[in-house]
Amino acid sequence: MPEYAVRTEDLWKIYPQEPRPVEAVRGVDLEVRAGEFVAMAGPSGSGKTTVLNLLGGLTRPTRGKVWIRDRELSALPDKVLAAVRLTHIGFVFQSYNLLPVLSALENAEFTLLLQGMPVRERRERVRRLFREIGLEGLEDRKPPKLSGGQQQRVAVARAVLGDPALVLADEPTANLDSSTADALLDVMEHLNREKGTTFVFSTHDPRVMERAGRLIRLVDGRIEGEASGAGW
Amino acid sequence: MVRFGTLWWLALRNLGRELRRSTLTALAMAFGLALLIVSRTLSDGAHEDWIDTGVRLGAGHVTFNAPGYRDSESLDDRLTSVQVDASLAAAADAPVPTPPVTTVRVSTRGLASSPDGAVPAWIVGVEPDSEIEFSRLGEHVVDGRYLQPGDRLHAFIGEGMAVRLGLRTGSRMVLTAQSAAGDIEGQLVRVVGTYRTGLEALDQGLIHLPLATAREWLGVEGATSVSLLLSHSSLTDGVQGQAERELADSGVEVAGWPQSSPDLYAAVKIDDGGDWAFHLILFAIVTLAILNAIFMSVLHRKREIGLLRALGLSSAETGLVVYVEGVMLTAVSGVAGVALGLAVVWLFLRDGIDLTDLMPSEITFGGIVFNPVMQPVIELKHLVQSVFFTVAIGLSASLYPAWEAARLDPAESVKVE
Repeated sequence: MPEYAVRTEDLWKIYPQEPRPVEAVRGVDLEVRAGEFVAMAGPSGSGKTTVLNLLGGLTRPTRGKVWIRDRELSALPDKVLAAVRLTHIGFVFQSYNLLPVLSALENAEFTLLLQGMPVRERRERVRRLFREIGLEGLEDRKPPKLSGGQQQRVAVARAVLGDPALVLADEPTANLDSSTADALLDVMEHLNREKGTTFVFSTHDPRVMERAGRLIRLVDGRIEGEASGAGW
Repeated sequence: MVRFGTLWWLALRNLGRELRRSTLTALAMAFGLALLIVSRTLSDGAHEDWIDTGVRLGAGHVTFNAPGYRDSESLDDRLTSVQVDASLAAAADAPVPTPPVTTVRVSTRGLASSPDGAVPAWIVGVEPDSEIEFSRLGEHVVDGRYLQPGDRLHAFIGEGMAVRLGLRTGSRMVLTAQSAAGDIEGQLVRVVGTYRTGLEALDQGLIHLPLATAREWLGVEGATSVSLLLSHSSLTDGVQGQAERELADSGVEVAGWPQSSPDLYAAVKIDDGGDWAFHLILFAIVTLAILNAIFMSVLHRKREIGLLRALGLSSAETGLVVYVEGVMLTAVSGVAGVALGLAVVWLFLRDGIDLTDLMPSEITFGGIVFNPVMQPVIELKHLVQSVFFTVAIGLSASLYPAWEAARLDPAESVKVE
């Protein structure tokens, strides 16, 4: 049986709303194997972000199930779900979402700190990764002193440093210019290739789609199509 | 433990980021607490001053009477010589650091008359040497002098009475009262001096004369009361309790100043109520300051709070980060407030705050005259209470923002711009 980073079964998310409930995600069945580089594309309002939130345990499904590796999330209590996010899931958001009171290094090491890793080990890990992804020398800078691309790379570093089963990236290139976006994608591709980190993106960006090993097309909360391999 | 330390570290960094807001909030709390401490010490000082003045001119902090005397104020309900001795022995055993001042009195209602007229009087036979230390009536002399040991047919009267009866130092007057035997007896005395306390009732009605003279005139061997003056009113309950136990079988009734001076007690309680109302307003202001500062910071940081959840903090831990910010703010403000409050109190500790210019005439309340010089008194119990309440308010005011932070939807929060 293949090792899944994440899979879902008949996943639904319905928001109670007047005059009638909004079905943001409608019966999504999805399987992402460990080490995949997957992009989810679709028009605005197609449910991409909601699917990512469901995969990451930020939102509970109305119906259906989500497994991270072999752990089913939907029934987990808040505390356990938080622990699953800490150890198994990394997030990269469109608007970087770094903690402004922490330096680049402190932001990147934050999940390792929460995991209880000794300071020397986590600092070493961060510095090594910073060298790999071109952030060397920026360790002590606070987020407002970093460019958008640099901030997003710090966010990627934070997401991957804990060796999660899955990194969920919600339109990570949306706020970046094309060269910065390319550089960021290089970093993520590199991490996927070298470390086997699993990435699932939601995106509108054709560059992300081009680089994805697999493209899932979402329309109105459903998977409408899927393509993989070279030349899709 | 690592997580807990991390949450504190993060909370500290958050406070540091909004340094101006954190400082203003801390200052609001610190000033509130300092004001509370200053106000508390001043009102404690004022109350102690009232009580001291009241009990000196009244029945002392603790008084020993025969049962029924406080209601009847009759010589029929007097202490025998044996009971007076037993009371003095109990007074000597009082569990207090400084020996109490004790005075023995024979008091009765009567009439003071002169060729100009007659007025009702509260006539008190006193031991001049202990009484001068006890009532300090001798400090209010406006003419002549206070009684001295060796005086016999002498009286010390209020200025108001002297005016009404046309008396001055050296004048003679007649006191008339019912003796212990039930007969109406008169006593000729000479005025040795007059006093003015500012209390009309005293200045027009209270007469001191030597105890021996009163005993002889009224046919009394014992006394109507033995009174104790303590170094602080807070010692009253302990001394009263001990004396009650010691005199349980002697037929002596022991009363603390709240029972023997109910008007004074009521005045202190009423003023205390006013102080509490003022303190409640202060507490409300401090509460709102904290609530506003922390709650606003939660609203401004929705995205960060959502991010913390996404990164692996549970909702309780996220709430805890916000709560710890409130705890730190409270702790810093508490220390600063106590330091500031005590510093201000220390400034006024020696000379007090002189309000003479703001009080054009003597103001009386509850049977005492206000002292225009407000002297702060630090009572540890009240200091601890003030700190406790401020800390409790700081901690409870942080609960709501923490709860709000804990229940934020992480998926929605991370999207907030």
